[in-house]
Amino acid sequence: MSKIIETKINPTLSNNIESVKKKRKKVNVKPYVYLLPAVILLGIWMYRPLLTTFQLAFYQWSLVPGTTPVPVGWENFLRLFANKDFGISIYNTIFYTIGLLPFSIVIPILLAVATHNMKGRMKNVYRALFFIPLILAPVSVGAIWRWLFHPSNGLVNITLLDLGIIDQNIAFFSDPIFAKWLILFITGWKMIGFSTIMFSSALTGINRDYYEAVSLDGASRFQTFKDITLPLLSPMIMFMITMSILFSSQWTFAYIDILTSGGPFGTSTNIYYEMYKHGFTNLDVGLSSAAAILFFIVFSLITLGLNQMTKKFAFNDN
Amino acid sequence: MIIKRESIAVSFKQLKLTTILQHVLLILMGVIAIFPLYWMIISSFKNEAEIFTASFFPKDPTFTNYIYAFSEIPIAKMMLNSFIVAILLTVFQLGTSILSAYALVRWKFKGSFFIYSIISLSWLIPIQVIMIPNYVLINQMGLNEKLLGIIIPLSVSTFAILALYQGFKAFPTALIEAAILEGESDFGLLTKIILPNLRSTIASLGVLLFISGWNEYLWPMLITTNMENAPIQIGLRSFVNSDTNLWGSLMAATTISSLPILIIYFILRRHIIDSFVKFGMK
Repeated sequence: MSKIIETKINPTLSNNIESVKKKRKKVNVKPYVYLLPAVILLGIWMYRPLLTTFQLAFYQWSLVPGTTPVPVGWENFLRLFANKDFGISIYNTIFYTIGLLPFSIVIPILLAVATHNMKGRMKNVYRALFFIPLILAPVSVGAIWRWLFHPSNGLVNITLLDLGIIDQNIAFFSDPIFAKWLILFITGWKMIGFSTIMFSSALTGINRDYYEAVSLDGASRFQTFKDITLPLLSPMIMFMITMSILFSSQWTFAYIDILTSGGPFGTSTNIYYEMYKHGFTNLDVGLSSAAAILFFIVFSLITLGLNQMTKKFAFNDN
Repeated sequence: MIIKRESIAVSFKQLKLTTILQHVLLILMGVIAIFPLYWMIISSFKNEAEIFTASFFPKDPTFTNYIYAFSEIPIAKMMLNSFIVAILLTVFQLGTSILSAYALVRWKFKGSFFIYSIISLSWLIPIQVIMIPNYVLINQMGLNEKLLGIIIPLSVSTFAILALYQGFKAFPTALIEAAILEGESDFGLLTKIILPNLRSTIASLGVLLFISGWNEYLWPMLITTNMENAPIQIGLRSFVNSDTNLWGSLMAATTISSLPILIIYFILRRHIIDSFVKFGMK
């Protein structure tokens, strides 16, 4: 609309170029003013520190006030690759990222489909239940699960002992294998509700005519699911895969911190937890920054790749 | 639809069985989803002798755990801190996102694509990548141990901007054009026409931002070390890590810290779920 007004006004003022310029300037400055708070804040608290981290990756510094960072070239990256926990953390990052996909894609699709055609209140009751883990704070969730799996008095150990499945308490979070799988399970448990809701909303958007057409053909429920539901859900599936891969390391962070602190012996740590540990426990800013930059680039490339794949493979119903 | 009903009638028996199976599985999933919450609440009411047993209902419910939790960590002060942080974060994040989403939708201007990209790409930057420089800057500003130090760096939410951008874009242009013809100013257009019409969208976004502000933990943990200055999540974390083995009190503190979120959820359940559907989540 403002454009129309502008073009209407412009010809009458065209003999006075100066005033046109003024007028344009006046019109154009407004969006920048409205955007100023957000852009300044993003600049100071997101992009400035990103650049600083890039810089710090080439310095050695202990974070202690009064000391100055010392330039060391590529040494931080060399130390990073030589660090014994670095390999484990990459392996675990991949383990958690892939391990979360069933929780963010497979189970939620099944739950969404199962509740989709339900009538009445039960549908909302189920969805409301699946949703509860999501709104709880990570710290609370960590505390509760830590209590459930407590080595001597937790419900899980008591029950397993009573049932005669084990004859000795298991210290779940001090066991390298249990610790990792439990962190994965708890992160997944928390995310199921979110994905289920997202897939449910995608299902609501599917045109019912498709289902009626195949039910005329006498297709089985499984066939309908495979031939109609899955292809039509593919844009949402790709979106959720991208989200899951991009954010899973941040989602697991809290549970690594609260349940195991990365242990035992660094077996459950992931790359973001290593950054935190290097930075704030070992006061080795250079190492933390080198890891941060490396993985910022890796995750950006993965996101870009997934974005391309979404454009190529997702089936759009237009 | 009619045809579908008939085919349902044909395989009625089979369908009934799968439906029952479906409900059994869904109920099982539902139980897994809320059981930890149930266990948290009943553990908090168990007495010292009962806390280490597997009883599913406290035989002799007690408030001792709550009393002890309040004496052990400054819960009231930390809850207040959490409320201040969550409310101010919600207000600032709504404010910055309303203004910028409006600008991006309302005008075509030079650099708008660039600014939109800067905003949406900031989603790719995890807090762990930027925490050290931000920590240093907050310290230089003398804002460590202050609630403002927690709030300022988080006061713009990429997620909120993108969510509102979608909402504003769907706003009927006819209403906007009418208001412009009537000589409404740009700011008046936003505050008198758009915002009142989108108030339910903005309210549910506000609820989501409040919940995520309440649950925020890594950044507040870096900024505040003293419990008196910290939000409840930080206090809860150090209580959990203190190895006191007082799980009754721990679960009491966890219950208190979750209470505001749970109350909001039970009142606005439908709203919250709908808005998650609409916006997705960070």
